[in-house]
Amino acid sequence: MRAFRLTPLRLVAGVALGSLSFAGVGYAASLGLSSKSLHAWTQTLTKGACNQTSSTADDTYVQQAGPNSNSGATDTTLTIGGAAGSQDYAFLRFNLSGCGLPTTAGADSAVLTLTVTSKSNDTISVFPVFTGWSSSTLSWNGVGGLTIGSSATTTFVPSSTGALTVPVTADVDAAIKAGTFWGWELRDTSGTSTSAVGSSENPAAGKRPSMTLNYEK
Amino acid sequence: MKRLVNILGVLLTTALLTAGVAAAASLNLGTGQLGAGSAAVSGCTSSSLTATRNVNNSGDVTEVDVLNVPQACAGEVLSVTLQGTAGASLGSAVAIVGTCTGGCTAPVTGFGTVSAASLTGYAVSLVQ
Repeated sequence: MRAFRLTPLRLVAGVALGSLSFAGVGYAASLGLSSKSLHAWTQTLTKGACNQTSSTADDTYVQQAGPNSNSGATDTTLTIGGAAGSQDYAFLRFNLSGCGLPTTAGADSAVLTLTVTSKSNDTISVFPVFTGWSSSTLSWNGVGGLTIGSSATTTFVPSSTGALTVPVTADVDAAIKAGTFWGWELRDTSGTSTSAVGSSENPAAGKRPSMTLNYEK
Repeated sequence: MKRLVNILGVLLTTALLTAGVAAAASLNLGTGQLGAGSAAVSGCTSSSLTATRNVNNSGDVTEVDVLNVPQACAGEVLSVTLQGTAGASLGSAVAIVGTCTGGCTAPVTGFGTVSAASLTGYAVSLVQ
């Protein structure tokens, strides 16, 4: 048998194969060294209720036919009309500051109760309002300066007089998280009739708007 | 004879390579001594971050937001379980923490239909 002769080619081949062998060992040696840790925690929620009455409500309606007029302080009903050229929009909100809710809280359920004093078969759409307004100053011409949601949260048809309930959970939940709550605009979006609901100045306490609010924080 | 030498050389090299790989593959399977140790794994956070949930108008949970997640947690796996009475699971969902500037809000969706009113808390975990 001839002696094995180390040629340059054999040397390169040997180094290459040896490197592959060490790479295999190196790969195996690194197994198990890449680790993650699990960080786990829990958070407990507290439930409560903070129902709203006319004492924390602010409401008004604005008239296209009287674009600079304001009727928030005196009118006992909120008129909602859909006739072109003489539309009426109602605005309603509650002051939730007494609830003491942090912005990490949320509404489990929020239901508005309105009393229809003048009925119609038109659809009334409820749009969230995102900027401040006051019943003592708001007029038709002032509505353009407000930021109002482009989509209605919900709708209702005031087809009979008396109390009706309107779910508004999503809006109140979002308002709690935003830290400000500016209520809703109620607009006739289907016809030309006029309807009305009792305002917070209505002499009959049972006809004033209210809202049940169940929250978690 | 030269061909035989070359063949033997190739076989020898192959055997050595196979032995190397085999030795690597057999790690932890031998009967030798066990070397053990530990090393602390530093995660992106050790805080119990606050979670809050959003609802639709029916009062069902649509999303849970985990607040103030450090930037360093981007790419990590966040898991949220909605808990009901006695800690019962009402639904779970997983999300990957996204990238952001400052403290991140990590949204987690896909819990199915769960009423917010039935929630008593959250169980949150972060693989980091």
